[in-house]
Parts: sequence; structure tokens; C-alpha cells
Amino acid sequence: MNSLLALLIVPVIGSAAAAILQRYRLVERLITFLTFSVTFLFLFGIKVGDLFTWHLDFLGKNLEMGLQITPLSIFMLYMTIAFGIVLTFYNISEKSKMKGFLLLLTLAASNWIFMSADLISFFFAWELMGWSSILMIFGGRREAESRQGALYYAMMSIGGSYSMLIGIFLLSNLTGTFSIQSNVSYLMSILSVHPWQVLGIVSLFFVAFMVKSGIFPFHTWVPYTYGEAPDGFVPYLSSVMSKYGVYGFLIFLPLTLGTHVPTVLGLAWPNYVLLWFGSITAVVGSVLAFMQDDVKKLFAYSSFSNLGFILAAIALFTPIGLTAGLFHAFNHLLFNGAIFITVIALISKVGTTRMSEMGGIWQKMPLTFLTFFVGIAAAAGIPPFAGFGSKWMIFQAMISHGLIFATVLLFFASIASFLYLMRAFHAVFLGQLSHRYDNVKEVSAIGKITEVFLLGALIFFGILPGFVLDPINSIVSAFGLKPLPTSGYEYINGFFSSINMVSIFIVVIVAFIFGFVLFAIVAKHKKVPQEDNYTAGQIPQDWNLTPEMYQFSYDFYEPMNKELAPFLKVKIDGFFKGFGESVEYIGGAVKEIFTGNVQIYTYLAVGGLVIFIIAGWVVW
Amino acid sequence: MVIVEFLIKLAQGFGIGALALATGLLFGGIGRKIMARIQRRYGPPFTQNYIDLFKLFSKGSVSHGWAFDLGLVAGFAPMLAALMFLPIGPFTLLPSDSSLIMIVYLMMMAYLGMAMGVLASGNPNSAIGMSRALMLMTGYEVPFAAVIFSVYLFSKTGYLTQIVAQQAGGFMNWNIVKMPLGFLAIEIALQGMLGEKPFDQAIAPAEIASGPMVELGGKYLGFGMIQHSVGLFLETGIVVDLFLGGAPNFWIFIAKQFVLYFIVILVDAILPRLRIHESTSFFWKLPLFLGILQAVIVIIQGGVLNV
Amino acid sequence: MSEWTEIVDYFRGRSMWMLHYCTGCGAIELPPTMTSRWDMERFGITPMATPRQADILLITGYLAIKTLKRVVYTYEQMQAPKWVLGFGSCTINGGIYWDSYNVIERLDKYIPVDIYIAGCMPRPEAILDAFVKLKEMVQKGEAKGYEKYVKNYEWYKANQDKVLKRTSPVLKEIEKVTKIG
Repeated sequence: MNSLLALLIVPVIGSAAAAILQRYRLVERLITFLTFSVTFLFLFGIKVGDLFTWHLDFLGKNLEMGLQITPLSIFMLYMTIAFGIVLTFYNISEKSKMKGFLLLLTLAASNWIFMSADLISFFFAWELMGWSSILMIFGGRREAESRQGALYYAMMSIGGSYSMLIGIFLLSNLTGTFSIQSNVSYLMSILSVHPWQVLGIVSLFFVAFMVKSGIFPFHTWVPYTYGEAPDGFVPYLSSVMSKYGVYGFLIFLPLTLGTHVPTVLGLAWPNYVLLWFGSITAVVGSVLAFMQDDVKKLFAYSSFSNLGFILAAIALFTPIGLTAGLFHAFNHLLFNGAIFITVIALISKVGTTRMSEMGGIWQKMPLTFLTFFVGIAAAAGIPPFAGFGSKWMIFQAMISHGLIFATVLLFFASIASFLYLMRAFHAVFLGQLSHRYDNVKEVSAIGKITEVFLLGALIFFGILPGFVLDPINSIVSAFGLKPLPTSGYEYINGFFSSINMVSIFIVVIVAFIFGFVLFAIVAKHKKVPQEDNYTAGQIPQDWNLTPEMYQFSYDFYEPMNKELAPFLKVKIDGFFKGFGESVEYIGGAVKEIFTGNVQIYTYLAVGGLVIFIIAGWVVW
Repeated sequence: MVIVEFLIKLAQGFGIGALALATGLLFGGIGRKIMARIQRRYGPPFTQNYIDLFKLFSKGSVSHGWAFDLGLVAGFAPMLAALMFLPIGPFTLLPSDSSLIMIVYLMMMAYLGMAMGVLASGNPNSAIGMSRALMLMTGYEVPFAAVIFSVYLFSKTGYLTQIVAQQAGGFMNWNIVKMPLGFLAIEIALQGMLGEKPFDQAIAPAEIASGPMVELGGKYLGFGMIQHSVGLFLETGIVVDLFLGGAPNFWIFIAKQFVLYFIVILVDAILPRLRIHESTSFFWKLPLFLGILQAVIVIIQGGVLNV
Repeated sequence: MSEWTEIVDYFRGRSMWMLHYCTGCGAIELPPTMTSRWDMERFGITPMATPRQADILLITGYLAIKTLKRVVYTYEQMQAPKWVLGFGSCTINGGIYWDSYNVIERLDKYIPVDIYIAGCMPRPEAILDAFVKLKEMVQKGEAKGYEKYVKNYEWYKANQDKVLKRTSPVLKEIEKVTKIG
């Protein structure tokens, strides 16, 4: 069987099997896991340049449809399917209402997106992915809210899809073909002549990608949807599905290469605008994240904030910018996956998503705690974990262009990410352990294996980034740019400097060993329970002090609200709500017409006929 | 051979660590003495910090579990690690990796570890202190970043060793002459980084019972003290390397560091504590303006690297 | 080993961090002791915020029974080596409150006091004198009140319980209070 087709067919077959057997949860989860694994095996059979085409007769037109493999698509396929295996393996022991067959449909759609060579299949795959994920969100923890979240997501997706559809038709009207490659090269050729036309078409596509990735100002659906989606699905949603947008951007971004578009600071201005969208997304996500009390929502904000970093980097479209963006896409998949998997493990144990109700759970779930810690360290960009290299490169890529304002904004977002990560870390795992959670246990064996694997991956790809940077370099050269020099798996070569991650790792490890030795040889310590705490001399029992009362985690950064108040008044969400309301109003007004009165229908029919005739006359 | 080389590096690393710790503690002691003299006191001997550290390591302490222990160790180990990449005078242990942003992020790991430790103690005072420290960080790191980026653009390199090398050859080559506004911004940011007044909200003894350190005693407090001292050395050392042209030998290096610390002490002595949101927004105003202005000047002078 | 102990004791005597427990009178004598006029920092003595960090527990003036409870709790939260400094006559014999129904008379019965400062009020000079004496005692290895407390814990506990029983109508669960941490 053709491996390209197998990547589509295997998930569909698996999906059918899972749908039939979905009453038996364990069987269904096993099928999901196995299908992901088998799909991954088929991945070894494909290589760059593979092509598969077929012809479709549609309204007398002979359309050429096809699948093709570019370095970018192979990178994306490996990344997403491998993560899917980890997630579905974890999900075997997970109990939320995640439907395996929908996940497998999403997988088929996702493979199709990454492989499609023409806009028609791209659009179909995009829609399949959209709808299967929307259906999935319905099964959330809270019935009504998850329906709301799914609807919000559906509305935004539909908006994006319409925009993309219009773009596709405009484009095919111009070129008479649906092939992505020839369309992009056509746009490239006319860019210097009709820049506005090209940008208009491309921005129609970009709206769809921005919606999917949650880029400002289309980020509003992200927290609702992530917050309410079934626990087992959230990691996939945030780690994998946000990358479709990145893939889409990368299809159209080469447009600005070698053209005569006006530039800002040496950067084509459409890219400059996109970069600002990315930077603003990063800041908005980070700032809103540290005001959340819902742990899933917090990491939803964090997720699109990181997408902002990625967009800002790839918008530069320089070798280092592209490398940094793709590298961050990979790292984001990894650390965000680790964080979300630990978070859903935690939620399944404590039964709430409100952080102010948690605390001190590290005593009960040490491995989950460690995985989460390394995950947030990576998310904060701390060496030697995965996540450092890409952030480090993003800053270098930005500053090498002299984009000081955007860079400082991104750095601020990076610092603010520290805030929300610490807030989540503290409120969930540290502090006082409530007696409610006395019976909380560590995750099951399957969960432990997953967590150890993620922990290892975060460290492995942190100290040996070359394993990711090599494929990225081939992507960069496929885009016609000169890739960054490589010098071994342990090196990251930036613009201003290069670093050897292994040597940093060794230095940190030696410092830690020294620290532990010092810790062991100096005076002994005594273990005390958490009740034995400084209370300014008051005896806790006298005042009925409970652990919950002695945990400070609600409104953790309250003073910041005062500082950021003017910025928080701007509500993008409100714009969409207002838009929705006005649509509802117009819909209501239209509905008023259909009162059931025959006379009115007659008037309408006559009026319609008149308009029809006039229009026809004008057109002819 | 590799092993011998590694052992030599290890020994040198220990040497640097010990030296930095000794210098940091000495600075702390001299700082206390200066503070005392400003307040017309006699003050403790300048060796007081060594005695304090020794005592802390010999004193009993309480632990709130392994996360508490791990956090405190993680609070100073990365600090020590970051030191290995800092050009100290003419000497750098690992010059090929002395990337400035990497050092900054390693320092942040130390803060993350420290935060984990003190928050694992489960005391709300430490949580308040930590929340303040993090909020303050969003303040001072932003101008600091702006200055770092302008130095990157100006020197066209990210290696601290090369930034130092470019400033060789006398006072007029120092970055402080070429980028005075940047130096001013980083000096103000340094005040916040070191947590001295008016930015000592995180450790407010009379207000939140010394904040993060509330449950630390004995060796734990000792680790905190090491972290602070090494951090003092590292942060002033970075500024010396960035703006004061490094140094031909160790003594001149610490002399330059001390000048920076002396300014910090003087400001500390005369100013009261601000409220936390006041200080954060302060950093977003004047120092950030200075930092950005410096970057813009560098860019206009032709610092942009077209790629 | 004894040389090592001597060295440790020498440095301990040079660096004593103080937690001042000032619910009675006499707190006002401490600011001049700390600040420019008398400057206790020159002996390495600094005020600290919490019992975890402190070496000296300085207790000023009279102790009501309710306050005694907190003092015991605070003392037990401190880590060895730790010393108690009784400040003012009230900690010695109750002072002018010798016949009060709710004030303890001798602090030494409840926690081991290493050194007393007599007087009502003792002047800062007296406090500094006590600090220097304490320093000498620590350096000679004589100030071992914390060991005495562990060794004679039953006796101290009985004394504490006896007097704290009087608070029982007001405060609950006395047993938990005086348990060693």
C-alpha cells in the first residue's frame, strides 16, 4: 500500500473500529493508541518528494488533486504523530469522555493537511479537522459550559473557513489551478506588480490560520474551548492543533522573498505587521494568563502566548527566524504536552480545575510534580531543558533586525510567563495541602511511564537540540534560505553566539552535585509537618486555622491588576460578543418578517422577483 | 586526557565559586559597614557575613520535605553554574559558551528553584514575598533586556568574552562612554535585581516576616545567603563586563564591581521602601525609556545587522 | 573534636541573631540598643523576623499566662543552639506583678533562661552587657539552656501545664500547645 495513502486510511479504519467499540472504553482507548502507533510506523515509509495524485471530474472540470511530502510536512507529521502516541498511551488510563474515533479522525485530517498538495484537499482536510475536534469538545467535564466552548470554537472556525474558502476561489479564479505550489509561485510572480491584490488574498488565508492558532485578535475562543474540552483531548488541542496554523503561515510566507515590497527595518512590511501580531499575542496571552484561577484556562492562555512567539519568529523569514520559530513549535509541543498531561492527571485526581482550591499536592504526587516542574522550567526557557534554545534563538533573530520594541515586548512576555508558571506551580503543587486531598494518590503505572518519558524528552531535546535542528535546517534550505551552520548535536548556533548545551548541562549537574554534597555535610535538619509553621507566635489550633486558610494563592498578582488596568479595559472578547449579538438582532428582525401572514409572503415574492429581474438586466 | 582536563576545569570551577562567594560575602559585610557609618554607627566587622554563614551551617534547621530541600539547593546551584560562563577579569572558565542571555536565564533558574523551595514550606508570608519578587522581576528585567539588546546590537556579538575584548584599550573604549543611557538604565535595574531599597518589597522583615525566608533557618538560610552573595557577584560582574570594560586582573575586576555595589548601597541607605506596584511601574517608565532610547540610538548609528 | 567545638562556639558567639518578644513593657529600650547610640550590630547581633532564623529569644518584661503559651510555642519553633534572655525584673520574680493572678513569676520554671538582665527598666547599656556576657558564655560553652530543656522536658512541661491549665476556660486544647515540635 502506498504509505501516503496509508497515513490517511489507517486512522480512518481505526476510527471506524473505535466508533463501533466505543462502549468498551479500554478497548477503544487501546485501538486509538495502536492506530497512532501503526500510523507512526507508516511514517518511516515516506520520504521527501513523495507524490500521489489523482484526478477528479467536477462540473466538467478535471481537477488534479494530490498528496505530497515536503521537508516541512515530514517534520510536522513526525512531531504530531509522535506526540499523539504519547498522549493516547496516557489516555489508556484516563477516564474523561474523550472519544477515540474523533481523535483518530482528527489524526487523519491532520495528516491530510500536512500532505495535501492542492487547496481543495487542504480545505477539506481543514474542515474535517475542524468538525471532528468541535464534536470532541462537547464531551467536557461541565456539560453546558463545554457546549458553549464548542460553539465558540465552531463559530470562530467557520469564520476562518469562510475566509479561506473565499481566498481559495479568488486564487483559483486567477490561476485556474488549485495546486498550492503553482498558486504560491503565481502570487510570488505578481507580488511586485499587484502587491495589494496578493496581500488581500493571502490575508484571507491568514485569518483562518490565525483563528486556528489563536493569534491576536482571534485568540478569544482559546481559553473557553481549552478550558471546557475533555481532559484527555486538551493536550492534543493545544500542542498539536495549534500548529496547523503555523504550517499554514509557512506555506504563504515565502511570498515576501525577493520582491519589491516596501520594507520596515529591513523587513517586508506585511511580515512586519505579522510580527507585531505575534508579539502582541505573546504579551496578551502572558498577561491574561497570570490573572486566571482555572488551571486549564491559564495554560490555554499560555499556549497561544507561545504561538505568538512562534509567529513573531517565523514572520521574520530569515534563516535564524525560521529555525527559531520551528524549533519553538517543536519545544512548545513538548513542554506544553508535558504540562497539560500533568495537569489533566492532576485534575482527574483532585476533581477541580480551580487553582485556589488546590495546593500542596507535591507531597502526594511527587513524579507528577517533578514532570510539571521540568515542564514549566522548559516553558520559562531555562537551560538546559527544551524550550531554552528556541527562546534564545527567537530573541537573537528579533534583535538582529533591530526590532527593539517588539523584542522588548517579547522579553516582557517571557518574564510574564515566569509569573503565570510560578503561580500555577505554587497554587497547584506547593503551599499547604488541604485535608480534602489526604487520599489523593500518584498517577497509575501508565501515567508514570508517560511522565518519565516526557521528563526524559524534555531533558534529551534540551541538551541535544541537534536532533530537531537538523530536520529544521533541511526545511530552511527547502525554502531557499541558507540554513544555520551545524556543528554537532549538542550545539545551537545562534546569530550572535553559539552554545554547547551538553557543557551547560554538565556544569549545571556538577553544581547540583556540589550543592547536594554541601547540603549533606553541614548541620542536620529535622523534618516537620506542614502545621508546624511560622504563625507569628499564634497557636494554629487555637484559631481553628485550616490548611486552606493558610494558603495564599487566590488573586496572587493582585497589585499587577492596578498597573495593567488600562490595558485590561480593551475587550476583544466583547467585540465578538457584540458582533454575535448584532447578528442575533438582525436574525430576529428578519424572523419578524416571517409571521405566517400570506400577504407579506406575497409582497416578498414580488419584491424578490423585481430585484431578480433588475439584477439580471444589469448583469446581462 | 579528557578526564584530566575535566578535573582541571572542575578544580578551577570550585576556585571561581569559592572566590565569588568570598567576594560576595565580603561585599555584603562592607555594605553593612558602610550602611552603619551612614547611620553613624560603628557597625559589624566586615567579616561578619563569613561568621554568619559559618554559624548558619552549624545550626540546626527544619525541613518541610524534599521539595523544600531540593528547591533550596536548586536556588544556588544554577547561580554557581552561571558563574562559570562569566568573564572574571581576564579569566573565563568556559569562554565558548559565555552567551549573555544564557547566563540571564540560568540566573532565573536559580530564582525558580528558590521559589519552589520557599513555597513548599507552605507559609503564606513566603508566598506573598515570592509574588512580590516575581512582580518586581517583570519590572526590572524589561529595561535590563532593552540594555542587553542594545549591547548586542552595538557589539554585534552575544559572547560576554568578546564584548569585553571589544572594550580593551582604555577608558574611552568602554561601553559606559559609548552607551551612557544604557548604563544608567542597567544601574537602576541592578538596584531592583539586588532587592535593595527602594525595591526590597519581597523581603520586608517588619511587614511580611522577611517574606520568602520566613521558614528558612540554619543551613537553608545559609543557602539563601550563598545565593544572594553569588548573585551579587554575578549581577555586578555582568554589568562590569558589559559597560566597564572587564578588567586586566581579578582585583581591578572586584574593585569595579564594588563601585557599582557602592552606588547601590548609597541609594539603599537613603530611600524608603516603595509599594510593589509603584516600583514595577517605575521600571516601566524611566529605566525602560532610557534603555529603549539607548537601543534606538545604537540602531540609528548603524547597529542593525541586515541578514 | 573539642577544638572543632571550640571554633564553632567561638563563631556562634560572634553571630547571634535575635528574636525579640516584646509583649510586656521594655520594648522601647530596644530601638536605642539597635540604632546609632548603642549599636548592637557591632557584636554581630541583628534582629530577625521569625523564630526559624533566630538564635536568641529575648523576652521583655512580664509575661501573662496567655503570652507564655506563645513564648513556649515560639521557643520550640526555634532550632538548637538557642538561648533565652530574660529582660527586666518581671522575668526573674514577677517584679511589680509578683502577686498578679495572670502573670507568671519566674520565667525559668517554664523555659530555660540563659541570662537575666535585672532592673526595671534595664538601660541599653545593661542589655549590651548581657549580650557580651552571653557571648562569653557561648564561647566558653556554658550557655546550654536548650540542652537542659530537652533533658528536663518533663519538669518544664509539668510546670507549663500547671499554669496553662488556668487558661482552659478561655483557650482550648492545651495539650497540643506545649508538645515539643
